[in-house]
Amino acid sequence: MAIIEARQLTKEFRKFKSRPGLAGAFRDLFTRRYETVRAVDAIDLTVEPGEVVGYIGPNGAGKSTTIKMLTGILVPTAGHLLVNGCVPHRERERFVRTIGVVFGQRSQLWWDIAVRESFRLLQRIYGVPDAEYRRRLDELAGVLELGDLLDVPVRKLSLGQRMRCELAAALLHGPSLLFLDEPTIGLDVVVKLRIRDFLREINARHGTTILLTTHDLADIEALCPRVVILDRGRILYDGALDAIRRDGQGLEEVVRAIYQGEAVGGGAGAGPGGRRVPELGGGRAAEGGSAVEPEGGRQYGAGGAG
Amino acid sequence: MALRGLEMARYLPLIARFVAQNLKSRLAYPADFWTGLASDLVHQAANLVFILVVFQHAPSLHGWRREEVVFIYGYFLVPFAVFHATAANLWDFADRYVVRGEFDRVLTRPLPSLLQVFLETMELESLLGAVTGVAAMAWAGRALGLDWRLADLAIFPVLVAGGVAIYYGIFIALAAVAFWTDSRTGLIPLLWNLNAYGRYPVDIYSRRLRFVFTWVLPLAFVGFFPAAYFLRRGAWGWYAALTPAVGALVLAFGVAVWSAGVRRYRGAGS
Ligand SMILES: Nc1ncnc2c1ncn2[C@@H]1O[C@H](COP(=O)(O)OP(=O)(O)OP(=O)(O)O)[C@@H](O)[C@H]1O
Ligand SMILES: [Mg+2]
Repeated sequence: MAIIEARQLTKEFRKFKSRPGLAGAFRDLFTRRYETVRAVDAIDLTVEPGEVVGYIGPNGAGKSTTIKMLTGILVPTAGHLLVNGCVPHRERERFVRTIGVVFGQRSQLWWDIAVRESFRLLQRIYGVPDAEYRRRLDELAGVLELGDLLDVPVRKLSLGQRMRCELAAALLHGPSLLFLDEPTIGLDVVVKLRIRDFLREINARHGTTILLTTHDLADIEALCPRVVILDRGRILYDGALDAIRRDGQGLEEVVRAIYQGEAVGGGAGAGPGGRRVPELGGGRAAEGGSAVEPEGGRQYGAGGAG
Repeated sequence: MALRGLEMARYLPLIARFVAQNLKSRLAYPADFWTGLASDLVHQAANLVFILVVFQHAPSLHGWRREEVVFIYGYFLVPFAVFHATAANLWDFADRYVVRGEFDRVLTRPLPSLLQVFLETMELESLLGAVTGVAAMAWAGRALGLDWRLADLAIFPVLVAGGVAIYYGIFIALAAVAFWTDSRTGLIPLLWNLNAYGRYPVDIYSRRLRFVFTWVLPLAFVGFFPAAYFLRRGAWGWYAALTPAVGALVLAFGVAVWSAGVRRYRGAGS
């Protein structure tokens, strides 16, 4: 059974439209104008256990909004959603026990207390038995090299140090599904590499399913056999990473072309090149994780999801 | 309600841990801790002095003696201190959690969101207000020659709990308004001083206000009615019997508004 199953998932935000100038601001006090933004527009997404999926797209594409729906933070405007067998926002407390979440832009830890104490609180919150907790902490601290950091208050950590702690914190309760929203943002090359190794390792060792957003395509190349490309709330491409890479072309160029709505050629000889092609090459990853079937993907066109 | 209560008992060990952790991080900034303590004390002293000054020119106000008014204020300080110490995080909830999106983190943890918001920041030093309050009650009670009964020992915590529940309910509902608006300050700083209405005899207010503070925003049940019970001021004292029920009702209302608000939470645009 799929671990993430989204059908026609949609999120709209009503946005306050401010008028220009001081006079405009004054008028805004009395009558407000709103516009509706469709941040996520009827997307279909299925992820199987054990997959590592890269969720990419330009700024404002709707990646974070999708993740917030998948993690139960936001209530979808429309559509069906089942993650780990739960409707996330409806059975929130039960559901979040089964997932781990890291937002690169925001700390999940308590600011003023030592990392170790934050971890202990999380242990209590999730009700992790002592032996299991010690075993996991040992493993995580080993791979992420947390050693000296554990006794430092979170506010005194550097960004890279904090991010390693955030990753450990998200995994202390042994979730089967991990959401990462820009986990490598602002990190130096060494830390990035370490985090990539780490993610690969937990995926291989524990079969943890990972959905990750990033603007660093090197993250994607290193980790994700499957990519989902989103723009303006719609999925432009969902399939194997290899299928969109054409010979001699770097991933950067290919992705830029897709973002700009230019020709997308299927690596496996799928659909013809052209503007806003209705058919994009590549198929969804097959059951069971990293194995990928390049042929026979679902279709995503300008007119509506297939 | 009883069921909710049982559910809460499950969280007691966790609450204790958060309390300890809070004290620890509070003490990591000793200056803040002492300033908080001192400002509370100054505030309470000023209020007591105010009462004494008012009574310098009149032996009684609307039939209330100086010591009785001090007693009411002292009693009020007890539920207020508990509320202030535990619900401190509601103060800037709108800005910190809703506008800046910290509520994201709360929603990714397997605990009731409201419980987490309460536990994440506490100002436990404010509990000292309860000591001030009990001291004021003791002084005034002696001066008035109050007769305490044994049952009062049991009734006192029940009435205090009811008063705290009323405060919780009102301010939880006010904090939850942040889920509907995009205001940064929220309503709480604006309406914080409402609490003052619970600490004077209601008959000093006009009929209309008296009605409001009894049946609409039932602040009179927090301080005045229970205090009147201990002062044995028959008519008003009887209202105190309703305090627990009013508390349960107002708290349930606040929690309902909160739950409806959480569904509307939209996060911070990124
Ligand atoms: N709380 C909100 N209120 C109003 N609009 C929002 C809110 N959150 C997101 N949006 C809007 O929804 C759209 C998608 O935003 P989202 O944060 O999901 O993009 P993203 O793909 O994560 O972008 P980035 O790469 O910049 O992080 C944007 O137009 C954004 O302005
Ligand atoms: Mg984002």
